Amino acid sequence: MSRTQWSDYKWRLVHVAPQPPALHMALDEVLTDEVAARRRPPTLRIWEWSASCVVIGRFQSLRNEVDADAARRHGIQVVRRISGGGAMFIEPGNTITYSLYAPDSLVAGMSFQEAYEFMDAWVIDALQGLGIDAWYQPLNDIASTAGKIGGAAQTRRGGAVLHHVTMAYDIDTTKMLQVLRIGREKLSDKATQSAAKRVDPLRSQTGMPRAEVIERMLESFRKAHGLAFGKLEPAELARAQELAASKFSTEAWTGIVP
Amino acid sequence: MHGEYKMPGGKLVVADLEVRDGKLTRVWISGDFFLEPDSALTLIDVALEGVPAVASDEKKAAAVRAALGPNVRMYGISPEAVAVAVQRALEDRA
Repeated sequence: MSRTQWSDYKWRLVHVAPQPPALHMALDEVLTDEVAARRRPPTLRIWEWSASCVVIGRFQSLRNEVDADAARRHGIQVVRRISGGGAMFIEPGNTITYSLYAPDSLVAGMSFQEAYEFMDAWVIDALQGLGIDAWYQPLNDIASTAGKIGGAAQTRRGGAVLHHVTMAYDIDTTKMLQVLRIGREKLSDKATQSAAKRVDPLRSQTGMPRAEVIERMLESFRKAHGLAFGKLEPAELARAQELAASKFSTEAWTGIVP
Repeated sequence: MHGEYKMPGGKLVVADLEVRDGKLTRVWISGDFFLEPDSALTLIDVALEGVPAVASDEKKAAAVRAALGPNVRMYGISPEAVAVAVQRALEDRA
C-alpha cells in the first residue's frame, strides 16, 4: 500500500451538541467504517459529553479497572471503546476528546509508535503555541514538563485508521481515584508514584477557557492540513444510535473482558 | 489468582486464572495494551488454557506466540510479558 498525505484529503470537522457516552463509542465505530468505505471524507470529530463516565479500553478487565459501587454512587456510567489503551475518567467539560478517521494509507508502513506521533503532530504544535512545553511520549501519551496531559489510542478497521485522544482540561482527581482502580504495578516505572500528580490539566497550564483551547487546536489543524465544517449524516447518526443500544450499552460488550 | 506486570517500555499486562489438575484454566489476559485485530485477545486466552502451571516462562510465551501467528500486531505487550503476568498470578502477587 502506498503512503498518502494529509493534503491528499479534504478534511471535515464534526463538532456537535453533547452526546451520551455509548453514542460516542458507537460514532467511532460508524465513522471509521464510513471512512473505510469511502462514503465519508477523512474527519476530525471533537467530542462533547452529556454525562459523566468511565471509558475503558478494549482489552481491559471491567472488574480490575472500575470500582462499580463507587461509579454507581457518583452516577457514572461505564462504557468500553473499540480501541485498546487505558481507562479514562470523563466529566462533561473536563476533557478535550477528539477522534481522527482516515484511510489507513495515511500511516502505511509506519510502526505503531510512528503512527501515533504522526497523527498527533498538529496537536503538539497547538499545545506549544499555547505556551505548553508538550511532546509525544511513547507509547501513547501526550506529556508536558508539568505532567501528563492526555493519552491516545489507535485501531485499524477495514482500511481505515481511528486515532482518538483524551486530554485533561480540568479534573476531579479525588473522584477519579475513587472510581478507577489504579494499581501500584501500573505506576511502578513512572517518575512519580502518585496517580494524582501524574496528570496536569490544560486549564491550569493555559488559564484559557476550554472552548478557546479547542478553537486554537482547530486553527492548528486547519493551518497544517485544511479543515472544512461538516456534519453527521442522518444515516450515520441512526446507525450509531442503533449500535449504542444494541452493543455499547450492553453488559455483553462492556463485560467482554470481565 | 491474579498477577500484573508492567512491561518495561510497554503497557500493563494482567493475568487472572485458576489452576486445576496442575493446568491453567479460566485464563483471562487483560490490560491497557494494543492488539490488532482485537480478536487476538481470545487467541491468547485459549492458547494458555491447559498449559501446565509448572511450564517455564519460555514455554508459556511460545504457546502464546504460536497461537498469534505472524499477522497479529502487538503494541505494549509481548508473549514474554504475558508469561510473566501468568507467573505472577501463579504466585498470586499483583
